[in-house]
Amino acid sequence: MQRMPPPSPTLLDSQWRYEASEGFYDEVLEPEYRIRPQWATLSEALTAMGHQGMARRWQQGRRMVRDNGITYNVYSDPENTSRPWPLDPIPLILGQDEWKQIEAAVVQRATLFNSILADLYGPQRLLREGMLPPELVFPNPAFLRPCWGVEPPGGVFLHMYAADLARSPDGQWWVLADRTQAPSGAGYALENRLVTTRVLPDVFRTSHVRRLAHFFQSYRDALQALVPRNRENPRIVLLTPGPYNETYFEHAFLARYLGYTLVEGGDLTVRENRVFLKTLGGLLPVDAIVRRQDDYYCDPLELRSDSILGVPGLLQAARSGNVAIVNALGSGLAESPGYAAFLPGLCRNLLGEELKLPEVATWWCGQEGPLKYVADHLGSLVIKPAFPSARQNPIFGAALDEKERSALLDSVRAEPYRYVAQEQVALSTVPVWADGKLHPRHLVVRVFGVRSGDGYAVMPGGLTRISSSLNTLVVSIQSGGGSKDTWVLGDGPASPFTLLRPAAHPLDVSRATFDLSSRAADNLFWLGRYVERVEAAVRVVRSMLARVFQEDATRAEGISAGLAILSALGYLTTQRTAAAEAEVLAIIDSREAANGLIAHIHHVRRLAWLLRDRISLDAWMILNQLDQQFSSPPAAAEVSTGTSQDLLNHAIVTLSAFGGMVMEGMTRGDGWRFLDIGRRIERALQMTEILRAGLPPEQPAASGALETVLEIADSTITYRSRYLTSLHADLMLDLLLVDEANPRSIAFQLVRLREHIDELPASQNAIRRPEEARTALSLLTAVQLADVRELARHDGELRAALFERLVSDLTLLSDQITRAYFSHAARSRQLAAS
Amino acid sequence: MRLRATHVTRYLYAEPVSTCHTETRLAPRIRAGQIPMGHRFEVTPTPSFSATRVDYFGNQVISFSIEQPHRELVISSECEAAVHPAPPPNLSLSPAWEEVRDQVAGRATQDAFDAFQFVFESPLIRRGPEFAGYATECFEPGRRFLEGVNQLSEKIFKQFRYDTKATTVATPVEEALKSRSGVCQDFAHVMIACLRSLNLPARYVSGYIRSIAGVTGAEASHAWLSVWCPVFGWQDFDPTNKVMPQGDHITLAWGRDYSDVAPVKGVALGGGEQTIRVSVEVTEATQ
Repeated sequence: MQRMPPPSPTLLDSQWRYEASEGFYDEVLEPEYRIRPQWATLSEALTAMGHQGMARRWQQGRRMVRDNGITYNVYSDPENTSRPWPLDPIPLILGQDEWKQIEAAVVQRATLFNSILADLYGPQRLLREGMLPPELVFPNPAFLRPCWGVEPPGGVFLHMYAADLARSPDGQWWVLADRTQAPSGAGYALENRLVTTRVLPDVFRTSHVRRLAHFFQSYRDALQALVPRNRENPRIVLLTPGPYNETYFEHAFLARYLGYTLVEGGDLTVRENRVFLKTLGGLLPVDAIVRRQDDYYCDPLELRSDSILGVPGLLQAARSGNVAIVNALGSGLAESPGYAAFLPGLCRNLLGEELKLPEVATWWCGQEGPLKYVADHLGSLVIKPAFPSARQNPIFGAALDEKERSALLDSVRAEPYRYVAQEQVALSTVPVWADGKLHPRHLVVRVFGVRSGDGYAVMPGGLTRISSSLNTLVVSIQSGGGSKDTWVLGDGPASPFTLLRPAAHPLDVSRATFDLSSRAADNLFWLGRYVERVEAAVRVVRSMLARVFQEDATRAEGISAGLAILSALGYLTTQRTAAAEAEVLAIIDSREAANGLIAHIHHVRRLAWLLRDRISLDAWMILNQLDQQFSSPPAAAEVSTGTSQDLLNHAIVTLSAFGGMVMEGMTRGDGWRFLDIGRRIERALQMTEILRAGLPPEQPAASGALETVLEIADSTITYRSRYLTSLHADLMLDLLLVDEANPRSIAFQLVRLREHIDELPASQNAIRRPEEARTALSLLTAVQLADVRELARHDGELRAALFERLVSDLTLLSDQITRAYFSHAARSRQLAAS
Repeated sequence: MRLRATHVTRYLYAEPVSTCHTETRLAPRIRAGQIPMGHRFEVTPTPSFSATRVDYFGNQVISFSIEQPHRELVISSECEAAVHPAPPPNLSLSPAWEEVRDQVAGRATQDAFDAFQFVFESPLIRRGPEFAGYATECFEPGRRFLEGVNQLSEKIFKQFRYDTKATTVATPVEEALKSRSGVCQDFAHVMIACLRSLNLPARYVSGYIRSIAGVTGAEASHAWLSVWCPVFGWQDFDPTNKVMPQGDHITLAWGRDYSDVAPVKGVALGGGEQTIRVSVEVTEATQ
């Protein structure tokens, strides 16, 4: 049934035709169709901008999501794991008074669960006195016996806590679930804020929305207070399970935002009962770990022995108080929905207060009364595992037939303590902007509390998630839902705030930016190599396309040299099957080829993605754009030479922008050095192959071929300005092989390589040059000693030998650097059982 | 009687191991009928770190790490314990098994509460109808609890083949039940799974058994189980040898299953192929 038209049409209604749905609480509209006061500013602004204005603004917002690479991973989709983050531009807005209640309730729950964990991992008084049934603890796989008796620093089990809240039709907020293991979403909430304020900057300013930065300051301060040593300048790492994790984007984002080093288990090691980060410069002590990895995977010695993500010995180091881990190992035990019925009693017992926010009606089947209720009302309940690590999906009683219900009841009766049943809340609705209209969707808000002093501070905002349609009450981003920014209104204008604030005491001047793990160095090295490989391919293809339309005598020579170069670089087979033009165009559209241009571009993007915490946002955006340019080229049939040339010209500009960004924007540390080593090795390799294929032995150098090579090497202008004569092979070799001033020449790359390698840690304190330094030196010497006249001779034997040596020694150099710096390959393994 | 156990575990690696973190439960426990009389523990190469603690189940744990490259790791443990064979209990005086089940579920006493956590699944032991089914004939309604347990122990002894090749540490307990074969660890796991499937409390015990004629499992570390019964307390059963331990067993540790109490477990970085050699000898000690 539609509601009656409002007595005096509100602006939002007349222009936007937003209609709430019967039977749910609508966040914007009161039952009498009036707009709730906290939404007034936004609705006026929406009216003023109209659909078109909104569409324009949102286009910018969507671009920001894409350019910033805000993504989440879908577990069930092996093909393309990362998806753009689904954000809706209309925020959820909550008023001050309402927020105060939520805030107090979240602080209370965080405190309560911290006390519960302290008891369960200690005296277990709650179990002995019957405040909490042991059936909810003993069989729970999240109860990690090895963590029992380990007292976390400051007694803080939960550095961060999150609650999922929902609102029922009467306007009451309820707790749907608690997150204590490693709550995710705070980083996405912050990203949502960054995008939404770009879309609605004016509304944001005039609405007095409370800022989020203070929350993250509390986050850092509280963690810093927990570290066992180096309080003033601790080394803190964020431990991620890796790039395939659902929320890896957030791990990288938060690490960058909070100034922590992003690590995987393999980057850490325990020595003499202390945790260290493996870096290029050696082992650096770690004072605190923010873990975004489930606790039972964290130590293969004492916890799950099949974990390859863990750090052997980590728990013992924590037990000895040598490292702070947040949330404490074992914290997942507080996540059971089975506690619901006992929380009011526990709250009175432990905190001496009444529980401020009720849990959604929950029946734990481990007790006779509730079990009977569940059996009688199964059709209207949702059945969930009491121990969430079981990872079973919730079962909706309403969706089952008679037979299925009785089968479900049988398994519940066999082990009743494993199940809870929950009432399904008719979730409130909020407008979502789609197809130029506003539609009501259901919502759940995740609210975050972080340790602050002796209590908790709550993020004034949160992660609002919305259902994919009005017909489903399942709110999950994994199953097609979306998200929104969450605005909490304050008294007056919020003060600007930045995370870089003056320290309490002066700090020692630090030149180190981030500690470079060998894994990150490895990725930077390969990023450099692939960027260069892509650039070489783009240049060759571009010059080939230009040749095709050339109408002069050297056209044929040029084309055949270009084809030879493309074959040498591995983009074409030696057998010509089609017209040159078609073959070259096919390279741009080579999505199938494992070693094709497109595959290389994907590698570049993937490596840049893995390095999100290390390269600047601008650098990431550039490389992301490159991938997008090539991911949606004109369909094969439409590929015309003209559009392809545009694409390639764009790509050259984009790659140059990246090169400039690296030169101008990156601190000259080991990270930059490895990126540049990768580029130099690859550029030298590519140039060697280009010269080798362009100047084949046993042939006089054709001028069309020389022209092509010069053009690919971007050195035509230099050559012409030096030599007004026609093209000569020896002069060209001088320019492209031995001229140390030409940034495209092989000698130029080798000079840089030698300098870089001499600066690396292994070269610093060595009595004897390490093998990679010797290789670099001998390569440079070989080129410096080369006689271009001899090399240019027609029989070309000397030339072939030198090129052969360059290729094999450059490959060797790459291997040697890999061995010396990136060999984290040694995997840990279990000792055989005795 | 005084028993002395000498237990040497030797790991040989094809390639050097750069670091290794290890945890052992090799010290004898104090318990009714057993008084530890000394423990000598030695590791080569010399660990760069070691620590001792008592775990959740009250077992003594020695953990250590070695941070120099090595191709061989030797852990030798020598211990003595005075064991006093308690008079065999009169099993027919124990309560009916249903009563034990209900007392534990109701956590009537502190001891019952402590036993309660051994009723549930654990990392290596599932509960299930196949285990309950296997045990049914031993637990007819009203059957005396300890008599039922003893019968189950005899049933497993009779029907299961002791076979060191049939299973590995990774073999699931369901598999061992199906194949009716395994080593002492599998015998204990199967029997515990049967008891827990009937909601009866049972824990896994790790230790040694004296090498005397007719005994199985003396050449390595041994395992059996313990059940809790009101008044009688914890009573041990060794289904591998169809006995209730009577002075030939040394108890090192107990927990929910093998994963809680493995005598030696460790994680090594590098090493390639590894070979393990274990020798255990248990003899009567001269006073």
